[in-house]
Amino acid sequence: MPREHKEYRSKARIYVDILTSIMKKGGKSRPTRILYGANLSHDRLMKHLGQLIELGLVEEEKQDEAIIYKLTDKGRKFLIEFIKIEKFAEAFGITI
Amino acid sequence: MDLRLIMILMEFVSSFISFLIGYYAIKGYKAISIKELLFLYLGFIILGVGTLMRVISATYFAVIIEIFEPQSGLRSLLNLAGLIYTLTQLIAYSLFTTTYILQAKALGERSVEVSVISAAAFPIYALFFNPSLELIAIIMLGFIAVHSFINWLLKKSSESALVFLGFGFMLLSHLLFLFMIKEPMLLFFGQVTQLAGFLCLLAMLAKVSKAHA
Repeated sequence: MPREHKEYRSKARIYVDILTSIMKKGGKSRPTRILYGANLSHDRLMKHLGQLIELGLVEEEKQDEAIIYKLTDKGRKFLIEFIKIEKFAEAFGITI
Repeated sequence: MDLRLIMILMEFVSSFISFLIGYYAIKGYKAISIKELLFLYLGFIILGVGTLMRVISATYFAVIIEIFEPQSGLRSLLNLAGLIYTLTQLIAYSLFTTTYILQAKALGERSVEVSVISAAAFPIYALFFNPSLELIAIIMLGFIAVHSFINWLLKKSSESALVFLGFGFMLLSHLLFLFMIKEPMLLFFGQVTQLAGFLCLLAMLAKVSKAHA
């Protein structure tokens, strides 16, 4: 089982790792793929996915009995905005 | 062209850039609640307000001096305006210093045209000058510039290079202001250097806003 980063990750960073993982799979992905991509345990991934659905950044979809998580337009915009903020913060030496 | 007008315009542009950076920082803070971004926002907004205040007061005093003889009351008002401006700068630099200290602490926890000069321009601006406070500003900006230089060495990104250049030029401008007692023209060059610093930060902002996923 993959170990999580020992390095501290902010909630925003975890959200972005999940969203990036979905985006890399063409905007929709199965939980197992996200789990590896975002380097999270199953329980933590499900908790965060629930929060992302509540925020409207991700939506759940059923596809042949399997659950697929889809990036919404709001999620895509959030990701782009986050990348800009991250670059801005990093320019000043601030790590998110 | 009146040099006083050029200097006022340069400071106006600087304050506008300062507000832009502050706006971007608060946008970031609202999205991801990182307190260092809040300090950055407060620092740039205070710096922008201070610079804008100096633009307004310099314009006002320039007009007043042309109408009335300089009186002691007006002189003390000039000194007060100068003191407020310098204090806002010091508050802003303290906030930037706090940002870098917080970040260092957090990382430690985790891992580790000049020939046509108007002679009237300098006396007004010179009255805004306080050498002791200028020295404090230099020390603070020295810390900020060194920290941003180290950040550039670690990141090697063009954005971090522009921030280092921005703070570096600001530090140079304060060093030039410090020696303007000896050579008044240094005030003008200091203003140019200060604007160059803000333009570097504007270039950084332009690069960042073009970033995409």
